[in-house]
Amino acid sequence: MNEAYDGLGATFELYADVYDRNSIDGRGLPLDGSVHYEKDYDNAFWNGERMVFGDGDGQVFGRFTVSVDVIGHELTHGVTQYTAGLVYKDQAGALNESISDVFGSLVLQYSHKQTAAQATWLIGQGLFTARVKGVALRSMKAPGTAYDDPVLGKDPQPATMAGYVETEDDDGGVHTNSGIPNHAFYLVATGIGGYAWEKAGRIWYDTLLAGMKPTTDFAGFAALTLAAATKRYGEGSAEADAVRAGWSGVGVAIDGGGAS
Amino acid sequence: MAAARAELSIVVVRSGGFTGISRRWAIERPDPDDDWVALVEACPWGQVAADRESRDRFTWRIEARVARRHHRASVPDRELTGPWRELVDRVQRDGSSDV
Ligand SMILES: [Zn+2]
Repeated sequence: MNEAYDGLGATFELYADVYDRNSIDGRGLPLDGSVHYEKDYDNAFWNGERMVFGDGDGQVFGRFTVSVDVIGHELTHGVTQYTAGLVYKDQAGALNESISDVFGSLVLQYSHKQTAAQATWLIGQGLFTARVKGVALRSMKAPGTAYDDPVLGKDPQPATMAGYVETEDDDGGVHTNSGIPNHAFYLVATGIGGYAWEKAGRIWYDTLLAGMKPTTDFAGFAALTLAAATKRYGEGSAEADAVRAGWSGVGVAIDGGGAS
Repeated sequence: MAAARAELSIVVVRSGGFTGISRRWAIERPDPDDDWVALVEACPWGQVAADRESRDRFTWRIEARVARRHHRASVPDRELTGPWRELVDRVQRDGSSDV
């Protein structure tokens, strides 16, 4: 349970110190989790109230508490639930997933004080056992390259809209198509430079609080991030330009032609 | 059992989860036992409750063909209990698996 406590603490710290948010609901909700769920359980999930972690089967996956970004990811599902309220299907669901990867990665980066250039941008590093040919579950820097294993297959994440996957499984491929907004965030953060949580993370956090609908899609979200960047940093600012370039880099056209 | 002695095929696809890595199990029986047929018929096809709260939980797509009837359901992990759980356990145990 210590690992889970550390991850809870690191997540609480990022939200409190950087975004002035008191726990996931903004009102100090006590954070809780269950570990060692079922036997050989290859998963970690958010049940609407708490986090639940499995120990992995030991063959493909080890403990799901091994990396703080996994814990940050699960708790951020709680933050999204209390803010944007995104549904868990198709593009809105992939955004929901991506927001969890973004802040999960920022929890890790913040706890190691890494700049955007220093960060690995990997999600779930250390989760695979040594048997698996792969470094992590997902890569925000290079979606689709996190693993390539004879048994598991290849990381299916697209980096751009050209690779968007239509499927009925996984609620419309929410864990696959999240690669697109994940990569957009990576492009924005590295475009701005410095610590990703300070500006890129702030823009994404502002967006979560600013007028999202449960069914907001990629283009709608992109427009809201641009509006948030413009509001905080000014029209024509380097930050707003980086947001525009980030979404353009993944093939998402910003509603309204990108004019702010 | 009136519906016994029919061909049976069941496919189970587990998708989603934090990892997003799908797994698939399948079983075929040219001459299935009555209890297989009874188990498939015991599942509440078409009456699966949604789970709108959970995130990163598995989704189970279950397709069964037995006694010339075709059934299909998408079952949230939270709802995989009773005969659903038994059916999935049995396909995982006795069927073939590919990741
Ligand atoms: Zn998730």
